[in-house]
Amino acid sequence: MSVYITSSGNYLPGPPITNDEMEPLLGMVHGKPSRLRRRILQSNGIQTRHYAIDADHNTTISNAAMAAKAAEHCLSSSFLGKRQIKMLSAATSQGDIVLPGFGSMLQAELALSDVELHSSHGICSSSLMALKAAFTNLKAGEQSNALVVASELTSRLFKASRYEAAGSKLDFNAEFLRWMLSDGAGALLLETQPRGKCFRIDWIRSFSHADAYPVCMSVGYPAGDSQHKSWQDYPSYGEAEAAGALLIRQDVRLLENIVKLGVDGYLRLISEGRVQPENIDHVLCHYSSHYFKSKIFDMMQRAGVGIAEHKWYTNLYSRGNTGCASIFIMLDEFRTSQPHQPGDTILCMVPESGRFNNAYMQLTVVEA
Amino acid sequence: MKEQELSPQSQQCLQELMRVWFEFERQLGRVPLLQRLDRGQFSKADYCQLLLNWRQQVIEGSRWISRCASSFDRDYSDVRSTIIGHAREEHRDYEMLDCDFVAAGGNLADIQSAPRNIGTEALHGFLMYRASQPNPVDLVGAMWIIEGLGQKMADNWATQIDKATGGDGSYTRFMRYHGANDDAHMQKLYKLLNRLCESPTQLAAIVRTARVTARLYCLQMEEVDNDY
Repeated sequence: MSVYITSSGNYLPGPPITNDEMEPLLGMVHGKPSRLRRRILQSNGIQTRHYAIDADHNTTISNAAMAAKAAEHCLSSSFLGKRQIKMLSAATSQGDIVLPGFGSMLQAELALSDVELHSSHGICSSSLMALKAAFTNLKAGEQSNALVVASELTSRLFKASRYEAAGSKLDFNAEFLRWMLSDGAGALLLETQPRGKCFRIDWIRSFSHADAYPVCMSVGYPAGDSQHKSWQDYPSYGEAEAAGALLIRQDVRLLENIVKLGVDGYLRLISEGRVQPENIDHVLCHYSSHYFKSKIFDMMQRAGVGIAEHKWYTNLYSRGNTGCASIFIMLDEFRTSQPHQPGDTILCMVPESGRFNNAYMQLTVVEA
Repeated sequence: MKEQELSPQSQQCLQELMRVWFEFERQLGRVPLLQRLDRGQFSKADYCQLLLNWRQQVIEGSRWISRCASSFDRDYSDVRSTIIGHAREEHRDYEMLDCDFVAAGGNLADIQSAPRNIGTEALHGFLMYRASQPNPVDLVGAMWIIEGLGQKMADNWATQIDKATGGDGSYTRFMRYHGANDDAHMQKLYKLLNRLCESPTQLAAIVRTARVTARLYCLQMEEVDNDY
């Protein structure tokens, strides 16, 4: 049984925020301008992004509500109504609340009835994990359609007050992502029948290397912690926050691994015969930063399996890095704005630095 | 010589070697000693133990490389020249390693009398055996792993070691030297790859030897923690 992406949607909260508007909105930590901001922005190349918080640090829309808006956008251009949706598969790195699962909250927000539910929890690759759960469900004949939604609201972690609560514990690794990540949601509709010009999912595959690498991106550990004391191990949440255990961190030293692991997965898929570099017409790669694009690109070239630069599409620079939602937002914008013909092959790549999970997907454009 | 100038056959080989290398890095990531280094739970004694175990391989290294050179017949005299030059460059590197060991607080007599660990035995045994075969083209795969380690890992390890043990770089000179110089060695390697990987059989042999070398190198690292 084949599975098709027959519709897509996205939701980006508020107006686009330029680089100069970022710090006034997120706030200056201890009243001082960031010394790293310019450097990090220069290297990631992002020009504008969206936030679901305002300058007073009120949340303007919840994560579940953003996800619901993306889903509604997706359904609004589809052949299906809400009552016909059979499965909901949702992904995020952090829901609005700790429990229950993000999928439950989204289902209620969307007012979907009697669906089969799946929540995928993780960082950037969790959207493709949610997509794979839906894809295999449909392939197995369990359901005839599924709505897959990925949404991120990380800006809540970036308010100046959060860093101030951790006292002087604002190290480079804790500040890095402040200038990288932003908010947004993307949605895809999967069906077992094609409709109009749509994408057939050829395969989805991921390779996780958590056993071989330390944690690279996390929320829950304090800085420089070698004992791996979790935020939940403190006597009170206040003490965990004061220790900086609730800040989002990126171990920048480990980050370079993402390049080679991303290329490694690509080489594996080639040797398995799943990918033929010469047959790929479009590449949608969720690299977190322009800096990594050239590194991934160069290494693929070096291995002799490069894909011409004009085939690469991204909207990172104008939509920002929205974590797991990025690949869906990218796919949605590609589908609605970029030329593509029946028979075209699209390779999607999501190398994730959380603890190094690399996910890949191949789509073929079909016309029903 | 750039990677892009590789023949299609050696380009294919390079793809396979890259995968072997990535797998090798993951294998190293599972070695307890290196996991401790990553967490910063690494003492000067750990470092001395690492050097003590490493020295044997460094010494044996120039031996199998020299043997390898002598096993190439006259059709490969150009390869022989390159490899002899390389062996000559590296054959006394262990003296720098000894100095680091002493500077880190080790006793020179200890490192000089230390036997090879189980992994080093296996690695050296395998490499000497391969080096003794006529025209051992596959050993370029072994060089890929061992030179790659110098180029890609040594500098990083030196930094982590200094950080974990409060060092100022005065006893990580051997690693830093390799981190700085093995780039040029890698360029020589690409040249060798073009010359030695001319058939699918040679390609398979090179990749296989790289794989075995990587596994045995890890075994050597795993054995650093074991006393016999």
